[in-house]
Amino acid sequence: MTRWGMVIDTDRCTGCGACVVACAAENNIQTVGEEEAHNGRAMHWLRIERRYEGTFPDVKVRFTPVLCQHCAAAPCEPVCPVYATYRTPEGLNAMVYSRCIGTRYCANNCPYTVRVFNWHDGEWPEPLERQLNPDVSVRPAGVMEKCTFCVQRIQDAQDLAKDDDREIGDGDVQTACAQSCPARAIVFGDLGNPASEVVRLARSERSSQLLEDLGTHPSVFYLRGGE
Amino acid sequence: MTDPGWTHAAFAKPSDAQDALERLAEAGVAASEIEVRSSIPLGHEVCPVGPQVHSRVPLMAVLGGLMGGTIAILLVTLTSRAYPLPTGGMPIVPLPTAGVITFEGLALGAILCTVATVFFECRLPRLDVPAGPFDRMLADGSIVIAVRSDRVPSQWAAKATATAPTESQ
Amino acid sequence: MAAPANTAKEAALLRPITGVRPGLILGSLVTGALAGLLFFSWGYQIKNDIGVAGINRPVFWGFYITNFVFWIGISHAGTLISAILRVTSAEWRRPVTRCAEAITVFALTIGGLFPLIHLGRPWLFWFMIPFPNSRGLWPNFRSPLVWDMMAIGTYLTGSVLYLLLPLLPDMAILRDRAMAETPASLKARLFSFMALGWRGTTQQWHSLEAGIKVMAVIIIPVAVSVHTIVSWDFSMTLAPMWHSTIFGPYFVVGAIYSGIGVLMVAMYLLRRGLGLQEYLNDKVFNNLGLLFVAFTVIWTYFTAAEHITVWYGHEPSEMAVFWERVSGDYALVFWGMILVNTVIPLAVLSFRWGRKPFATAVVGFGVLIGMWIERFLIVVGTLRLPRMEFTVGTYSPSWVELGILVGSFGMFAMLYFLFVQFAPIVSLWEVREGDHIAGSAAASPEPVTEEAVR
Repeated sequence: MTRWGMVIDTDRCTGCGACVVACAAENNIQTVGEEEAHNGRAMHWLRIERRYEGTFPDVKVRFTPVLCQHCAAAPCEPVCPVYATYRTPEGLNAMVYSRCIGTRYCANNCPYTVRVFNWHDGEWPEPLERQLNPDVSVRPAGVMEKCTFCVQRIQDAQDLAKDDDREIGDGDVQTACAQSCPARAIVFGDLGNPASEVVRLARSERSSQLLEDLGTHPSVFYLRGGE
Repeated sequence: MTDPGWTHAAFAKPSDAQDALERLAEAGVAASEIEVRSSIPLGHEVCPVGPQVHSRVPLMAVLGGLMGGTIAILLVTLTSRAYPLPTGGMPIVPLPTAGVITFEGLALGAILCTVATVFFECRLPRLDVPAGPFDRMLADGSIVIAVRSDRVPSQWAAKATATAPTESQ
Repeated sequence: MAAPANTAKEAALLRPITGVRPGLILGSLVTGALAGLLFFSWGYQIKNDIGVAGINRPVFWGFYITNFVFWIGISHAGTLISAILRVTSAEWRRPVTRCAEAITVFALTIGGLFPLIHLGRPWLFWFMIPFPNSRGLWPNFRSPLVWDMMAIGTYLTGSVLYLLLPLLPDMAILRDRAMAETPASLKARLFSFMALGWRGTTQQWHSLEAGIKVMAVIIIPVAVSVHTIVSWDFSMTLAPMWHSTIFGPYFVVGAIYSGIGVLMVAMYLLRRGLGLQEYLNDKVFNNLGLLFVAFTVIWTYFTAAEHITVWYGHEPSEMAVFWERVSGDYALVFWGMILVNTVIPLAVLSFRWGRKPFATAVVGFGVLIGMWIERFLIVVGTLRLPRMEFTVGTYSPSWVELGILVGSFGMFAMLYFLFVQFAPIVSLWEVREGDHIAGSAAASPEPVTEEAVR
């Protein structure tokens, strides 16, 4: 049974932010501008959290990219009054833009605060609208959005596999963030495939999850503790 | 047999009105031929001698509640199962959430049935009601008794503050 | 003894309806303008996207949800006075039931607007209504917002009917008077229509009284469930200091508390503005004041219990919200709330001299402000400090949110001004009935209780 998941190695992450930019480019995320960002309305689906560990002179910086955890028991899902978000059979927390009426209840119940809201319509002054990804919809104002594990790429890979009459192999689907990471800190794959790279990494002794005690059963694993 | 028509009388005190009702009962006028009207409920002080007045409202409230509750349960279970979308690891029809909706359905059913029963029993709305001769006095607090019978004794409204002659409805 | 009724006393009550009072018309227009501000601001927001409000990430809910909970809370005034006092046969309720029921209906109407106002795409609100459609989609009955819709829908229906049923005999009184004096006037026709042909026969009274009694019994659990469900919008989440089991009863108590506050302010203004001292007399204010003190104590108890358990448990994400209220950014508003919700009411209303109309109204007004602050602290205070510390935020309302807040009060006042000119704000027949019962008790040698008369 396919169950999409991701492993992020925070020992490798350099905090460069390429994943954030790649995600924005891949998913037609609007740029809200300096003033709106200052008012807490930035739209990044992925944020890099920076923490300092240790005391001078042995200070280390740890960067943790936080994105939608695609929880198996997602608190954001049952509170949506119109089923704009639910769990797909393949383990994704789906976001249905055309159904969302903008109550923003899901965002309040996400303990990871990974959901972002379209406060205004996005603007892509000419010729920037040409960079929009045709595989991804542009969301109007009043609609919630968040990381989708690049569902359009998953869909694309599944279509190609079906055409070739084969199963999806490990590494066939690369999310934008995984693809763009220079340190190869992000690995995406099928947690239901025992031979996949994500399963191997998720089972490592460096592996843990965010806010584990809340019982949300996220699909994202974080590696740390190694040198 | 000619139609005896309605005779109206207005009374200031409930005791006077009750007196008149007793005289009518003695003369053999049936309760169904008498109509007592007042601006405040005086059912126990001024009532025609005859069978007790009953209201079905409490029973209908319970029935309405059961109906509303059933509709709510069906709404939740059938619609959730028709297009089952898993959310948050919860069952498709969790008992607590279905319980909340059922409770509200129960209450709404009871409320609507209660009001419908009241309207039915009061024969409301009736916008074509003709004005009676003592409506103004009624509004100021008098009790008005109207009788439609050919057995009305002559002195039945002795204590009335005003009477209207016999007239056809 | 019974009839004729005390026409001099009733004249004061009927004057706003039968006459034309410039003060009331001016009041209706001014408050109408404020209500217009609400709709103007809302229209501006629909045209220019929800982003014109001050909400952001992580404070996804701000003034609108605060106002929503506040107005739904105020609607519990009518239920308490009208229903609970009817069920307990408390005689002093008689002059107060109608103005309380009117508060409930208007507050619910306004409160019910806010879930629409706060939506990102309000024109799609109908997705939440259960009806068969071509998509085969139904609302998510697991969501507390859908429970909200069912609960508030039921409560609004019930409250409107609970206001209209006892209004029928009063409308009949107005109709009979108008038909005798000015039969061709618009008001005469309006009253005739509103009275629905009520004639006051024995059968009709029997049925109506049974209906009112049953409605009173039904509407109490409905009201409790409504504000419990509204509180579950918060406590069903995992947000720090929202996920609390006490919210259900806490919010119900707070709702009744704020409802009595509004009722006291409204009653005082009616008493002064319309000259209703004989109806809304010192005794009524005294009894309401006592009830108010009881709720002050209960509300304070719940607030203390909530905060003590959070503090003792010392869970980091909850303590962040706790300190923000007690000593942080919102300390001033938090302690101000304690002052107007606990200290002042206990200080003033515990004594007989404090339970005079003006003092009670001032305390009631203070509680209004305090309860609004309480809702604000719960909504915004928690959302500012989510579990993941990298997403903490701030919130400041924009002019749109302020306009809608002010406009909502204006709309409430406008509806009240209009109501007062078309219906008796004190239930005529119930007060007459009460006087009759009191008169019978005084005249007869044996004690005549309400039960015996009934």
